[in-house]
Amino acid sequence: MRLKEIWRTSTFRLSVLYGALFALATVALLGMIYLQSAVYLTRRVDSILETEAHALAAAPGASLRQRIDDALALNGGRNRIFAVFRPDGGYVTGNLRHLPAHLEAGGKPIEIPPAPGTVAITRLIARKLPSGETLVVGRDVSQLSEMRRIIGSALVWSGSLILLVGLGCGAALSLAPLRRLQRMQVIGHDIAGGNLSRRMPVSARGDELDMFAETVNHMISEVERLMAQTKASTDIIAHDLRTPLTRARAHLERLGQAQGGDRHEVAHVTDQLDQVLDRFRAILRISEIEARARRAGFAIIDLGAVLRTAADLYTPLAEEDGVGFALEAGRGRFIEADPKLLFEAISNLLDNAIKFTPRGGHVRVRLEDGGERYRIVVRDDGPGVPTSELSSVLERFYRRDRDRLAPGSGLGLSIVAAIMRLHEFELTLEDAAPGLRVVIAAPKAMQPSDKTDDLSFRP
Amino acid sequence: MGRILVIEDDPETADEIEACLTAAGFEVEKRLDGPGGLLRAGQAAFDAITLDRMLPGMDGLDIVRALHEGGSTTPIMMVSALGDVDDRVDGLRAGGDDYIIKPFAPSELVARVEVLLRRRTRASAAMPEVRLQVADLQLDLVKHEALRGPHRIELLPMEFKLLEYMMRNAGQLLTRRMIFEAVWEYYFDPGTNLINVHVGKLRRKIDLPGFMPLFKTERGQGYMLHAP
Repeated sequence: MRLKEIWRTSTFRLSVLYGALFALATVALLGMIYLQSAVYLTRRVDSILETEAHALAAAPGASLRQRIDDALALNGGRNRIFAVFRPDGGYVTGNLRHLPAHLEAGGKPIEIPPAPGTVAITRLIARKLPSGETLVVGRDVSQLSEMRRIIGSALVWSGSLILLVGLGCGAALSLAPLRRLQRMQVIGHDIAGGNLSRRMPVSARGDELDMFAETVNHMISEVERLMAQTKASTDIIAHDLRTPLTRARAHLERLGQAQGGDRHEVAHVTDQLDQVLDRFRAILRISEIEARARRAGFAIIDLGAVLRTAADLYTPLAEEDGVGFALEAGRGRFIEADPKLLFEAISNLLDNAIKFTPRGGHVRVRLEDGGERYRIVVRDDGPGVPTSELSSVLERFYRRDRDRLAPGSGLGLSIVAAIMRLHEFELTLEDAAPGLRVVIAAPKAMQPSDKTDDLSFRP
Repeated sequence: MGRILVIEDDPETADEIEACLTAAGFEVEKRLDGPGGLLRAGQAAFDAITLDRMLPGMDGLDIVRALHEGGSTTPIMMVSALGDVDDRVDGLRAGGDDYIIKPFAPSELVARVEVLLRRRTRASAAMPEVRLQVADLQLDLVKHEALRGPHRIELLPMEFKLLEYMMRNAGQLLTRRMIFEAVWEYYFDPGTNLINVHVGKLRRKIDLPGFMPLFKTERGQGYMLHAP
């Protein structure tokens, strides 16, 4: 997984690309040197052979044999070849016993591998003598081919070494930016999760990553400022409008009680005003919850007891709406929570589930043991929420268009979300197909030794 | 009917409270600062005090404590802009008898003050009540038994508590919030429908066919149990 990540970084790819290009250039350079020197040396050998053959061929026929013997004796016959063959290919004299098949008189020089009679790699040239015989002159060129081999392997080795070093350097260079990127990624996830107080790390180097991090930080600050502003103005509007609206409501109440007033009409308007006031109250309630000090009212509580009390409170509402209601909660399941707030959250969930379940439907509440955590699962078989909208449901004021007919502030789930954030409990919404499943996961707590009372959650 | 001392630094709110209570037949005296209010409370006998939680230079809670230390038993209604459960619990723990959040409906304030006064009357009675009666509805607090005329009525524990609260305050308007706070002891907004359903269920058990209906709904305000 790490290798794959390193491979994906641009630093790594750049340094590998750079390494490969460098290796290619080196190979090309060495290749040029090789070609140039090999061609030059071969030409030199060829011209020497040419000159020797020419000199020998020009010698009178009788002295040729003597000159060949002299040359062989002088050299010891180790790295020079001189030979004469009859026109039918038969051996006449010299230190080469057989005329090589591809060697043509007057043709280009050829090279032959070591063979019996020849000691090493040899370059040969053949010339026709005036007598019709064939003169063969040769030189040992094993040094030349050795040099070619050395340059060739130097090419391969240096190329692969440069590639390898490039790869290593790339990986090493990528590690540090990769670590920084990974840190940024973790923080980015946290920010995306709503923790707008976090910032990307900026080092003192001021490199491109830092430039990017600074831009992102600037963006987050702006988002945070706008969010706070939006929230503050919503709160201020809710707070400031409450007083005049309450006064208007009081006036209406008096009008309704006065003689000659249209009581029905007044009651209708009062209901509408009450809805507005309910919504404002919910907005301010969310802010109250968000402003609370964490763990201020926390205690070890029996989750089952909280669920049973909530169920008692909401069962009549379900009955009234023709919705089946079932609770499965064990005993002695303890968590650490603010009991009043947790009860409020569960009440909102039950209220919501019952409200959106049609007559004849069911709401089921289960307390599950999920290993290290308890899970409170509230499931209804109402119309549910499409998967694409699940995450938006927790946002403030989010209501699906057709839900607008249902009573309530539309902020119930937002209140639940605020309470869960305060507790750091996990809140998930899932498509129960059909219906909606809301799951709260809360870490288990040890049972308090001094309290075994079932109603211990009432502080 | 009763004398109320209003301690409230905001003149507008003070006037509003005075108007509500005067309209309901109370005699009202206002004090616009904490020390003045505390002094006045010691000088004259009042049936109840409404007290702003936030007064300049003095926390409302300090006045409550001072009054209690002085031996006062006058019921105190805390009036506050702070709505959090913690603030409410603080206010009630310090000795406030009830807590209302600004802004409030006048009917709610009057109803709460009236309930406070009733509680005081009840508390000063020599004998604790063992039996409540409204018309032909009887509630035996010792035997946990409800009777409508000759019929015995089966009640769940919460229904019993609700009926007891309503009977103790018979003839008195009770808002849904007051009912939720007094019977279930929770302070969040339960939604209109929830309390309606609970009261409706109890009503069907009590107002049996052929009997005089005792439950009365005040639309948009709350409920009342009353002898016709």
